[in-house]
Parts: sequence; C-alpha cells; structure tokens
Amino acid sequence: MSPLVEVRDLCKQFPVGAGATVYAVEGVSLEVGRGETLAVVGESGCGKSTLAHTMIRLHDPTSGQVVLDGVDISTLGNRALREHRRKMQIIFQDPFASLDPRRPVGRAVAEPLLIHGMAKGDEVDEKVADLFVKVGLEADMMRQYPHQFSGGQRQRVCIARALATNPQLVIADEAVSALDVSIQAQVINLMMGLQADLGLSYLFISHDLAVVERMSHRVAVMYLGQIVELGPRRAIFENPQHSYTQRLLDAVPIADPRARRDRPLLTDEIPSPVWPAGTSPERVVMREVAPGHLVADEG
Amino acid sequence: MEPVLSVRGLTVTFGSFTAVEDVSFDIHAGQTLAVVGESGSGKSVTALSIMRLVELGTRGKIERGEILFRAPDGEMIDLVQQPEGEMRAIRGNQISMIFQEPLTSLNPVYSVGDQVAEAVILHQGLDKEAANERVLEMFRLVRIPEAEKRMVQFPHEMSGGMRQRVMIAMALSCDPKVLIADEPTTALDVTIQAQILGLMRDLREQTGAAVLIITHDMGVVAEVADDVVVMNRANVVERGPVTQIFEAATEPYTRALLASVPRLGSMAGRDEPAPFDLVEYQP
Repeated sequence: MSPLVEVRDLCKQFPVGAGATVYAVEGVSLEVGRGETLAVVGESGCGKSTLAHTMIRLHDPTSGQVVLDGVDISTLGNRALREHRRKMQIIFQDPFASLDPRRPVGRAVAEPLLIHGMAKGDEVDEKVADLFVKVGLEADMMRQYPHQFSGGQRQRVCIARALATNPQLVIADEAVSALDVSIQAQVINLMMGLQADLGLSYLFISHDLAVVERMSHRVAVMYLGQIVELGPRRAIFENPQHSYTQRLLDAVPIADPRARRDRPLLTDEIPSPVWPAGTSPERVVMREVAPGHLVADEG
Repeated sequence: MEPVLSVRGLTVTFGSFTAVEDVSFDIHAGQTLAVVGESGSGKSVTALSIMRLVELGTRGKIERGEILFRAPDGEMIDLVQQPEGEMRAIRGNQISMIFQEPLTSLNPVYSVGDQVAEAVILHQGLDKEAANERVLEMFRLVRIPEAEKRMVQFPHEMSGGMRQRVMIAMALSCDPKVLIADEPTTALDVTIQAQILGLMRDLREQTGAAVLIITHDMGVVAEVADDVVVMNRANVVERGPVTQIFEAATEPYTRALLASVPRLGSMAGRDEPAPFDLVEYQP
C-alpha cells in the first residue's frame, strides 16, 4: 500500500531583508505510512515546525511536492485544498492559545464539522459529545469555557477538534511539551490509543527525545533545515550514525542518578540558517546504511 | 556540618490560598539540593520566599516559619525578620538567583558587561575598571567564548545559552554562599542544556556555593542533585538523597511522578511503541 503522505524535495525559504534568506526547510523528502507515527526531532530553529506547517499548507512551499493520499496538494488553490484539509489536522503546543476564551469549547470542536458539512442540527451536539468521550472528557464539558479546564483537559479538547473531521494525518507540533509530566504521559497514552482505534498517522514534532522514543515508529532528525538521519526508531536510538544525532542523544538528561555522565564543557552552538544574498546552504547527500535507515554523508 | 541555609516550617499564602505549607529543608555548602514538583506545587514560591521576593509586587505573605542563613561572619540570621534594606545587601551578593528566561532578566538597552559590572560595583564597591576586570574573569569562568568581545554586546545579540551564561556570571560575580536556580535550563535546547548543567556542576565545585535548583524535570534532578525535595500541592511529600528518591521512593506521589517520566533507553530492544505504565495516584 502506498504511504499516506509523500514529501518530495520540499523547500521553504523566508526572505529576511537585505537579500538574505532563511532556508528553513531545504530539500526534505520523507514518507508517513498509514497508522504510523513519524517523529521529527531537532532543536530550536532546525525547521521542524516549518516542515509540518508547509506540509499542511499553513505555509506555501517554495518548491517541492506534498502528496497526500495520492494527490499533490502543494499547488492546489484554496477551494480545491479544502476537501483535502479534512484529512489532515494539527494540534499545537499551547492549547490555551488555540481555543477562543469567549466560546464554550464544544463550539470549537463543532466548527470543523460545520465547515466541512459533516453534521447539522442536533447531529452536531451528538458528534461533539462522542468526540469528548473519545478523548476522555465528559460530554457535559462541551458547555464550559477554556479557563475552566486544566492544561491537560484543554489539550484533550484540541485533540477532539482535530479528530472531528475523521482525519488520516494528525500533526502534533510539540503537542505535549507544555504539559506537566504526569499529564503528558496520560495524553501520550491517549494519542497512542486513538492511533490503534482509528488507524491514524501522526507526524510528531518534538524536541523531547525520550517522548519520541516512547511513541514513534520512525524518526527523522533535522538540523539546519535538512534531514540528517532518518530511520526506524530502534535504528536511530540504538545505532545512531550521524554525529549530530549522537550529540543530541548524549545531551538528554537521563532520569537515573547512577547513569550520570561527565559533561564536556563545550560552548559550541548551532549555526544560523540565515544565508546572505548570493549564498545558500549545501545539500546533504543521504546514504542508506541499513534497510530504511538513511544517514547524511559527513565530509 | 552546619547548613548554609535552613528553611524551617515555611508557610506562604496569597490571600486565602496557601501556596507553600510547612516546608523545611537544609542546604549545605558545595551541595546541590533539587526541589522538584509539577506546576503549582509551590516550588518557585519557596525559592522566591528565600529571596524575600514573594512579598514584593505579588502580594504573597510569609505566614510562618524561619529561613536561617549563615552570614559570612558565621552568625545565623533569619531572613524572614530582615528589613528590606538588609535584604538588598544580601540579594545578588550573598544569595543570588537565576531564572528560566534570561532574556526577561536582562535589560535590553545596556550591554551585558555593564549589567554584570553593576552588580559588583554595587555590592563589592569596586570602581569601573576593577569591575570590568571582574566581569571578564567571570565571563571566562562561565566559558563565554571571546569574552572581551561579548562584554560589549547587547542581550539580543546573544543566543539563549550565552544569555544564561551571562546570568550565571552575574549571579556568581559576588561569590554568593547560595545560588538559587529556578528552572535554569527549561527554556534551552537539549544540547545547550547539557552544556549549562555541566557548567553548573563544575562551578559548584570551583566556588563551593550551595546550589538550590528548582525544576520540574526529573532528568535534570538525576543529573545534578545530591539531595531531593519532592513537592506537591504546597507540601513536601518526600525528601532524601537522589539515589534513594529514584530507586526507593516510598510516597505514592513520588512513585506516580517517576512512572510518568519518559526515560531515554527505556524502549531498547522493543520494536513497537508502547504507552506508559502509569501508576494511579489519588490525592
């Protein structure tokens, strides 16, 4: 079966004045399988969120294709895009910022149903109630306002809204990063349960490698707008090949005081993705080191 | 050994809400104590109370308790009883603090060198030239590359990691006895966090300061702490040496918290993703 999403040579550049350009996403190619979680990891500014936003056309790509369920959506006009938007939804980091403080949360969950003509009349409330139950909330809560919920409950509302249109792809952009650790674990378990029940594909954008190790099938490591390593979760975590992947894994604090390591007193930082006029980044060349495990050549 | 700082029975309220209730702990020179807890547990209010900042602007009130600090002359003084004037001489000098977001702690219109110099001029009575020497020394101590060049830069010209190094340099510039670090690496990327944690460990050994680190991150606790205080809903629920907390926690809350911590390497050997085995906790 063909993958749900195929991204081919996707680029997104932003002009930043004086002819300089941010190469936020540069030549990214990846696939997301059906029912699969692909995690995209990397540090601030590596382009992981821009990649996600460009894939679902919150940004228009500079070049490249995004093929969703057999249709290239990268160049579709707004009207043609609408029917495809139903298939892909996104959850953001801060659920409080994603919900209108002056409307009951049930209206937020109903909105996609109404926009896509998927329910009308009494049906709307019924479907919203079902969605609330599905994400572990009580149906009555749909009449309450965002400030009456805890952070974890608000993120559940956002998940319910994302599921309203029966999407195939759900993008989670740091969706559990702002939650307390006990709530985070509950929301991750919820997301994994929903994936098993509904056959969802997740594109899981995260800076937290320990969370990614828990919930992903495959992992893409991004650095300065490009993927430097891509492969099955076990290959990335147990046999990382690229020096940046190794550095990233070494840096994660381990919740075990006996595993305490000496930290080299380094001061090096990630270079800027801003390129002055007339210059541009060099594309990495990927090499397959094991089936499905791709690594960028390091010069 | 006598503690440098001893918090005893601290209770802090905001109106009718009790943010910190009967909290006690000791911090010793050269040791790191981590206060760990989730949002709203009272960990930051505890830190702000030690600095007596909780009463400024935020309408907090220290209802009960003592915060005993061993002054440089060896005498134990109760910070709760000190007038604001005395506290001003202590804050940033004998007890200093770094926060989560260095950008909001730095003044955008002064160079970072001038801001660190201000602290040593104020507290140590150095002249401008001697202060600049001290700043340069501190910048090198916290391993800011090209320290002379960096001194004249403004906060917006620096990365988040470099700004936090500046804050640490400022906090250590007057040789404090106690350094309070409230979520010092939470806003930083993981590779930069590793650098700053390594730096903090190294500096504690070099300076002999007692470190109180406030964090929500059990990974950070495991990396840096000697002793741990676990807080939940304004109360201390468990305390002990770091290995005891991680390996033999007795309180249900601590066990539930640890069960929900994602641990790198916990999935080794397993092909498929797996949900967390959560421990039920009913308060």
